[in-house]
Amino acid sequence: MRLLSRDDWYEISHDLDWTLSYVEESDAFPAEWTGSSGVPKAAWQAWEEPFRVSYRDYVGVQREKEAGVAGVRDALKRAHIYEHLDPAVAAISHFHMGALCMVEQMAVTMLGRFARFAPSPRWRNISVFGMLDELRHAQLQLSFSHDLLKHDPRFDWCQKAFHTNEWGILAIRNFCDDWLLNANCVDAALAVHLTLEHGFTNMQFVALAADAMEAGDIGFSNLLSSIQTDEARHAQQGFPTLEILMKHDPQRAQRVIDVSFWRAFRLFQAMTGTAMDYYTPVDKRKMSFKEFMLEWVVDQHERTLRDYGLERPWYWETFLKCLDHGHHALHLGMWFWRPTLFWKPNAGVSRAERQWLNSKYPDWEESWGVLWDEIIRNINNGDMAKTLPDTLPALCNLTQLPIGTHWDRHHLERCESTYDGRTYYFDSDVSKWCFDLEPARYAGHLNVVDRFVSGLIQPPNLGGALAWMGITPEVMGDDVYNYRWAAEFNRPATRDT
Amino acid sequence: MVMVPIYGRFIGDFAAHLVAVDTEDTIADVAAKIAAHSVCRRLPAESAGSYEVLIDGRLIPPEVRVTQLSLRPLHWIDVRWKR
Repeated sequence: MRLLSRDDWYEISHDLDWTLSYVEESDAFPAEWTGSSGVPKAAWQAWEEPFRVSYRDYVGVQREKEAGVAGVRDALKRAHIYEHLDPAVAAISHFHMGALCMVEQMAVTMLGRFARFAPSPRWRNISVFGMLDELRHAQLQLSFSHDLLKHDPRFDWCQKAFHTNEWGILAIRNFCDDWLLNANCVDAALAVHLTLEHGFTNMQFVALAADAMEAGDIGFSNLLSSIQTDEARHAQQGFPTLEILMKHDPQRAQRVIDVSFWRAFRLFQAMTGTAMDYYTPVDKRKMSFKEFMLEWVVDQHERTLRDYGLERPWYWETFLKCLDHGHHALHLGMWFWRPTLFWKPNAGVSRAERQWLNSKYPDWEESWGVLWDEIIRNINNGDMAKTLPDTLPALCNLTQLPIGTHWDRHHLERCESTYDGRTYYFDSDVSKWCFDLEPARYAGHLNVVDRFVSGLIQPPNLGGALAWMGITPEVMGDDVYNYRWAAEFNRPATRDT
Repeated sequence: MVMVPIYGRFIGDFAAHLVAVDTEDTIADVAAKIAAHSVCRRLPAESAGSYEVLIDGRLIPPEVRVTQLSLRPLHWIDVRWKR
């Protein structure tokens, strides 16, 4: 018997739904999970899939993608590519495997929630495919890391990181717990599909895949590209949700997007900004983080806002200025607190690299070079203790990132709110604004410093904090080039550097 | 003598730090404890430079002791070079 073509049955199947009689609609689809408060039930009938796919189509395409990744993976194993990678490039994959693999797994849960609770049957159906996408992404990263575990124990952190208290991972997990695991379907679709995936990760994977390919990390590049093809598809699911919310509750749409855009941006400063502007070898860089953000993220986000009748976030000018600085602050902080990392950071401030940084960021030398100069002096004087931390940095109670890392050292201001008798500190007036919008959402959480001060980290010293974070000697961060880059600063600069 | 955790920021550095001060410390001691995490680590020392301390925007004399101030846990304290 001839199989029906997809178009013969799709219109019927995508509206498959039940008229509930044994339970109340509000019990089967609680508003706390659907997020449909303020939107009439009938409005969801307008939710149109941005793409059409059947299970048969999906499996066929995904099977080809998997075969492609497996082919490259086998070829790379035979060619011993990883063993010949620049160690700073390898560090990018250590960092990204640990930081992102379990985010994919959390996205499985989020899409599973959409598949069960989303307020439209079309949305529920299509989310099953997104859930399968995210399962594949988590499994791909685990298998890639498993292959490489024999070369470096840091690949164990692909699975382990999210089960530790490493401070950077806690910052990512805080965002994901909030938006991927606990937000209702409507809010999560806007914050994750529309903002995080469509706005940031989709583009990040393109940029990092290009840099990784140029730097010779063919496996990592291929992995990112394969994941990106799925992300580009399922991230579009945010648009029909936004379209409906704009008709019924545009203020809520604006709030969710503005809050999640800022929080996603802060994480991208830490992950993508450092990888693009410091870890990728200078002769392999295609564009700076700022150039990438302006071309791929800023333009696209502005277009989305304009197309749907949203305003730019009130903090837009601050955001644009932060593009010049925040990731340099995070990079310096991560390098200085390197024993708290599970990868080896590359300082990335040799004379040639500084020349590149100054060409891309005209204020870099005045804002950041002077701080690195003191570090370099200490390295070259053999005073290594002064290049290492003696305490913890102040941390934001919203982003969990160090206070002072959103912009530059001239814009480090004390930002605080008092709620229910407790003072909360923030890295910026934007993070404070996010907190003040919904204080009950964030209040009560203890960041790493709060836990340290409360006696939850023992012994109460840096060693105790490292043990609490799960950092062990075989993965503890140190300068990836063992400080060799600093020696050239003992010599006079040549004319072209 | 009781330890009080505060957030100390040396103006000009890019980060603030968790710093443990003692109720018997003078403000000059507090300044030195905060500066120790920034000066000669990321900021160059200034010859013959001395520090001044601001709490909630007010300049605090160096001889004042912590116990004389109403500091809450993680109170924010700024230190800068004396002009």
